[in-house]
Amino acid sequence: LGAAATLLVTGCSSDVLGLRRSVRVAVSWSGQELRAFHRVLDGLGRLDYPVDVVPLGDDISTAFGARSTRRPDIVMLPQPGLVPRQLEDLEPVPDEVAALGRARLWDELLVQNGKTYGVPFKTAHKSAVWYRPSVFREIGVQPPRLWADWLALNQTLTRAGITPLSLAAGDGWVLTDFLENVLLGIAPTVYSGLATAKDPRPSRQPQFAAALRLLGTMWSAPGALAGGVKRSLVQQFPDALVEVFGHRRAAMVLASDFAEPVVRSFAADLDDIDLFTFPPLTPGAPAPVVVGGDVMVLPKPTTDDARDLVRRLSAPTAADPWIEEGGFLVDGRVSGYSPELTRLAEQLTRPGELLSFDLSDRLGRIGDINGLWRVLTDFLINVGGRGAAVVPEAVDAAMTELREVEV
Amino acid sequence: MGLQTNGLSLEVVGREVSGRPIPGKPRRPAGPYLLGLPALLLSCLLLVPIGVTVVEAFRTDHQFGLGNFAVMADPAALRAVGNSLLWGLVAVGLVVLGFALALVSYRLPAVTSFLQPALVIPFAVSVLVSGATFRLIFDPTPERGTVTAAWSRLFGTSPVWLGPGLFWLVLVSAFGWTWLGYVVSLFRAGLDAIPDDVTRTVAAEGVTGWRRLRVLEIPMLRPITGVVTLTLVIAAVRIFDLVLIVVPGSMQGSADVLGLNWWRTSRDDSGRTAALGVVLFAIVAAVGVIGVRGLRRRRWAMPVTVVPPDRSLGRPKPSKRVRRIGWTFGFAVSLIWIFPALVLVATALHAPREAGLRGWWSMSGLGFSSFAEAANIGLFRALLSTALIAGAATVVLLVIAVPTAYLVAWGGLPQWLGRVVMSVFVVLAVTPVQMYAAPLRDAIGATGLAGSRIALALVHAAAGLPFAVLLLRSAFASAPPALVSEALQGPARQSAVLATVQRTYRPALVAVAVLEFALVWNDFIVGFLISGPGTTPLSLVLWGEARQFSASSGTVAAAAVVASVVPVVLLLSFWQTVVRGLTAGSRP
Repeated sequence: LGAAATLLVTGCSSDVLGLRRSVRVAVSWSGQELRAFHRVLDGLGRLDYPVDVVPLGDDISTAFGARSTRRPDIVMLPQPGLVPRQLEDLEPVPDEVAALGRARLWDELLVQNGKTYGVPFKTAHKSAVWYRPSVFREIGVQPPRLWADWLALNQTLTRAGITPLSLAAGDGWVLTDFLENVLLGIAPTVYSGLATAKDPRPSRQPQFAAALRLLGTMWSAPGALAGGVKRSLVQQFPDALVEVFGHRRAAMVLASDFAEPVVRSFAADLDDIDLFTFPPLTPGAPAPVVVGGDVMVLPKPTTDDARDLVRRLSAPTAADPWIEEGGFLVDGRVSGYSPELTRLAEQLTRPGELLSFDLSDRLGRIGDINGLWRVLTDFLINVGGRGAAVVPEAVDAAMTELREVEV
Repeated sequence: MGLQTNGLSLEVVGREVSGRPIPGKPRRPAGPYLLGLPALLLSCLLLVPIGVTVVEAFRTDHQFGLGNFAVMADPAALRAVGNSLLWGLVAVGLVVLGFALALVSYRLPAVTSFLQPALVIPFAVSVLVSGATFRLIFDPTPERGTVTAAWSRLFGTSPVWLGPGLFWLVLVSAFGWTWLGYVVSLFRAGLDAIPDDVTRTVAAEGVTGWRRLRVLEIPMLRPITGVVTLTLVIAAVRIFDLVLIVVPGSMQGSADVLGLNWWRTSRDDSGRTAALGVVLFAIVAAVGVIGVRGLRRRRWAMPVTVVPPDRSLGRPKPSKRVRRIGWTFGFAVSLIWIFPALVLVATALHAPREAGLRGWWSMSGLGFSSFAEAANIGLFRALLSTALIAGAATVVLLVIAVPTAYLVAWGGLPQWLGRVVMSVFVVLAVTPVQMYAAPLRDAIGATGLAGSRIALALVHAAAGLPFAVLLLRSAFASAPPALVSEALQGPARQSAVLATVQRTYRPALVAVAVLEFALVWNDFIVGFLISGPGTTPLSLVLWGEARQFSASSGTVAAAAVVASVVPVVLLLSFWQTVVRGLTAGSRP
């Protein structure tokens, strides 16, 4: 009893009473990723302040409400593209770590008016397709080198009675990632134009419609999606991975590098895992590489404790516990990963690759849950499994819907 | 008591005195008013922010008007309003269903023994937990989802239960599972409280079937119907976390309800947000007013039994056949009702990998590793802090509500003031969090208490105060304080008065304490909207895990089980007393 009482007294210290201001870190992670982040925090050693992790999921942008006082102290923003739009809510990061925010590619988002407003914590390679090599061996095919090869491969698989794709349409960002890869592959200039425009109007870009048409061609092939459209719609990102590697009902799934721990923990056969990167859209064109990541930003007004935590989390070894678990890429680092992730990391650092940041984050309202996510969900419902004939009409409908969002 | 002469049997039936004893004209000293001071201060925590919200809703750029209400033309907001109204209808349907079940269990007495605990457990767990449970049951993969597996076994293929349109079924099942027990228990207590002599008279006149229902049970239960409908409709219109956890992202738009729409748009424009809050409040208040009219007929008073009932005069013992039917029926219903809880526990007992791949019935991967995973995400620290918040809120509530209820019941308030106070409390009792969340959050932040658990406990106590006072007042009204003190000190201890006190004060106090503790323990929305999500981690831990729902279903289930143990044990042990306290008038 005495021990229990002591435990209670120590437990009820100011920390639990909440009188001591803790550093609240808003994250979008959950499940394995959230646990891995807790391990990263544990690995930081003893801190002078309590840290609360606040998982906000896809609604993380509500962390920057009009109400300043309930803001978290640090936001692990999964949409780095939001940084330029939220400048008045943010404080620059401490000078010691600012150099990390000025790295290649990141600088165009994180450096504004000469100040650095974020530090990349985690980099995501969003152009990876995870597949089961045993299926490819069985049919005698190779990973596609071109978009057209991919379409043909899907057909071959379908004819052989194997469902080619699993799609996590329950998570809107999976759909936008797919579209972004295609758009970046066919029209890099349109892509970057939209990304940097003050008032982006994707519906006025014929190339945007062209990308939708290509996407529609793949999604509309009968039998291409595991479980059909309805099942796809309720599938979240890990469900689609389990569908391929756990239940083995499909051959491939477009998923980022951070799919790795889910793939490995649910795979029926640990040796039957591989990935290929998104193929070029036309012969001779470079392969698209869509990059994402979580950046640490400091909402205004910040505290010394929050700055200290950012500094500690930016240390080169801070993320090691997560890297060990897999599914974590550090900007600019190419070693210490699994063989699959090493390939992705090398593509990210190789000069001359067609790298670009996630577009949907940079479109503001148009790219979010009520914009592009919904448009693409409806598009999928319209084309899914219905054959190429319905695609032109569905593209028109999607462009009309997009115009309505843009108003 | 009975007489028997020459084969003629006479019965003497004691008639209960019912209705509140009418006090004489009280003196009106000023002292008792002080009793209401703490309650007034605490209520200001809600009243002032509500005022701010109302002003903001009608203000557009330094000018007052209805401009902000143009938000209602927005199709998304309109759909949210429509969905919220639909939920109100669902609640009414549930009341009817609960009434029918209560009637069956009343006519077939043996039913109760099984049914009671089976119905209480869902009421004790949080909305988040019941949402997670039903999402597990309706999972779209045949390997994981119970219903999908059974359906595909029977018919070859299965519809996608969480898919477009069908997710409503999952939502309504989860809501019904949570609330039906409450409805049935309250109606059952009401039916049990119908005096035997009335039942006998009606039976002697040969009134049976539908007519009996119309002349006897429905009118006698009117006050309880008021309470039940009020609670349910308000719970339905306030739905928030259930939709968040059950509906897959791609369909969140079509499942939107007012409370959620408020939250999603709360970053845009404060006037617009305030207008949405006012609309939500108007709907709830309209329901509240209708419900309260039902209450007023009874004035929350209870009959006072002067003569203890004669056991031999109770309802006749049902025949063996009836009891057997009742037993079977009760057993079957309880099995169905307890099933979701079993699914949850069984899922939690699988390793995370197994739980993500296969359903609860799978025999591989059994063990406690899901619990270990849940512990890794800070579950126990969350438990501790939740217990602290719930405990503090309950203590503060009792300390403030008891004197206030005494003041309202016997403090000699002028009649008009008493009415005003009660009306304010009724309005506050039904006010949705969205009405005061935003200004209160700002105020808490400005005082530097953001994220403080004490501030949150105070807000919880303030939110629970109106209901507690309403309930306690009716209990205190049953025996005048002078009579009680006389009974306590008088030479011949007047046991009838003391018995009444025993029977009405205690259950009401227990009901208030237990319900407040469980409510705060299970809370998601108040903690989430008021003091920033960092403070109430128990529900947040659950929600955070649930983002990748099926892949982490083992951990989600384990966390849900751990989070539910305390409220389930609490409510199961005190349920009889809580129901007595709530219905305040049923016999022990």
